[in-house]
Amino acid sequence: MAEKDVVFRVKRYRPESGAKPTYQEYRFTYREDMVVLDGLNYIKDHIDPSLTFRWSCRMGICGSCGANVNGQPRLTCGTYIRDVHKGRITVDPLSNFPILKDLVVDFDDFLNKLVSVNPYIIREDWGDLTKEYTQYPEDVEAYRQQSLCINCMLCYAACPVFGASPEFVGPAASALALRYIRDTRDEGADVRLARLNTKEGIWECTFVGECSVVCPKNVDPAAAIQTLKFLATTRHMRRLLMPKVIPR
Amino acid sequence: MGGFITAFLFPITLFLLFFTAPFGLWPRDIAAYRTFTTLWQGPLVRLFFFVLIGGSLFHGTHRLKFMLVDAGLKGPGIQAVLDIILNAIAIFGSLGALYYALRGWLFF
Amino acid sequence: MAAHEYHSKRSAGWWLRNPRYLMFQLREAGGVITALYGLILLNMLQQLSNGESAYTAFLSLMRTPPVLYVNVILFALVVWHAITWFMLIGKAQPIQFTERPLPWKLVFGINLLLWIGVSGAVVYLIFGGF
Repeated sequence: MAEKDVVFRVKRYRPESGAKPTYQEYRFTYREDMVVLDGLNYIKDHIDPSLTFRWSCRMGICGSCGANVNGQPRLTCGTYIRDVHKGRITVDPLSNFPILKDLVVDFDDFLNKLVSVNPYIIREDWGDLTKEYTQYPEDVEAYRQQSLCINCMLCYAACPVFGASPEFVGPAASALALRYIRDTRDEGADVRLARLNTKEGIWECTFVGECSVVCPKNVDPAAAIQTLKFLATTRHMRRLLMPKVIPR
Repeated sequence: MGGFITAFLFPITLFLLFFTAPFGLWPRDIAAYRTFTTLWQGPLVRLFFFVLIGGSLFHGTHRLKFMLVDAGLKGPGIQAVLDIILNAIAIFGSLGALYYALRGWLFF
Repeated sequence: MAAHEYHSKRSAGWWLRNPRYLMFQLREAGGVITALYGLILLNMLQQLSNGESAYTAFLSLMRTPPVLYVNVILFALVVWHAITWFMLIGKAQPIQFTERPLPWKLVFGINLLLWIGVSGAVVYLIFGGF
């Protein structure tokens, strides 16, 4: 296999040092079948063991390895070096998140947002727990797309609204909310819509659409948010007209 | 709603009023005083312009608010001021459009 | 020194870094410009009620070359706003009659046809025909 050189320009940040982040360049020979993650691991194994980054499954399902590659939020395990090779590949931590160290970002806020949409089946009456809830293929199809999210946070890195307003609930959390709202076993639509029908909920979104562009799993969170806007509005209308029926 | 009005009705209206005559794209000068005052007699035309102006003002000020917030004009105090100013423009502009639409058609 | 996180500030030119961000900003700008034209149309109605000379002065101003060319650019942004609006409809509010929502390109196409139809109706019903 043909071998060529590539330069990785990686953002470094040492939290103990107090200094601002800087770039460090690493030159090495890469193979055509290497992805950016392979490159980072090569650097760590052979050049600079201090380089710190997250990764796990290296096959695009765990969502750990998100980073900005040449300015674009990508999964480093899903980005071939040959595809983004412009002589030099710049690797930054995911945008819009505080940097803990090198390419590792703090995503506590993201996890809190996931929790805030009650990402579990909510029911008044659980009935007989020894029997399964019947769900037909078309029922599953209704929420399948949103269920594919791997929580990689590329959508948050891509969203300029989240970049300006960190309180925005964001694409992934919204898609997750829709996943449960559309689940026929769930009865918690009102609870979730109440939380989302706020200024820092879905209404912060101006439909830039970049979240859906970068999503590696085609969850289409942009469409999910617009659907939630529609659902929240109709719920609001129903509540205005029939206040006793819909709870606060 | 304002978005629909703007998207469907604005392009053709602006085209006919401001661009056909200077570039010779239409047999008549629709915006010329004689022509337009004749058109303006029709209540449908008056309603049309009222809807157009009202819709575009509300839609546009809404978009402007988001652009400004996006550019950094944030914070509860600033938000409130922004809301008041932009809504005032939209409301008073719409009332103005209503006034001119009714003027000469109703008793005043 | 205690370890602490680094918070970077978003640069003011963030929307230049990506063609889709630029398209978004142009779309939004087009939206704001419709409000500007709303005010211009309002002014036009005001001049109309002020009489022939006031109205004709307004119209002449709009047709003077510098103002006219600025108008052409603003008009292009308004048209871009309309086109992206039609693209968004298909994506934003899925219209569903069968198992799958209609593909957004189909909805976009339908909206374009509707646009032509509505524009034609405006020409005949409002502006007195061709």
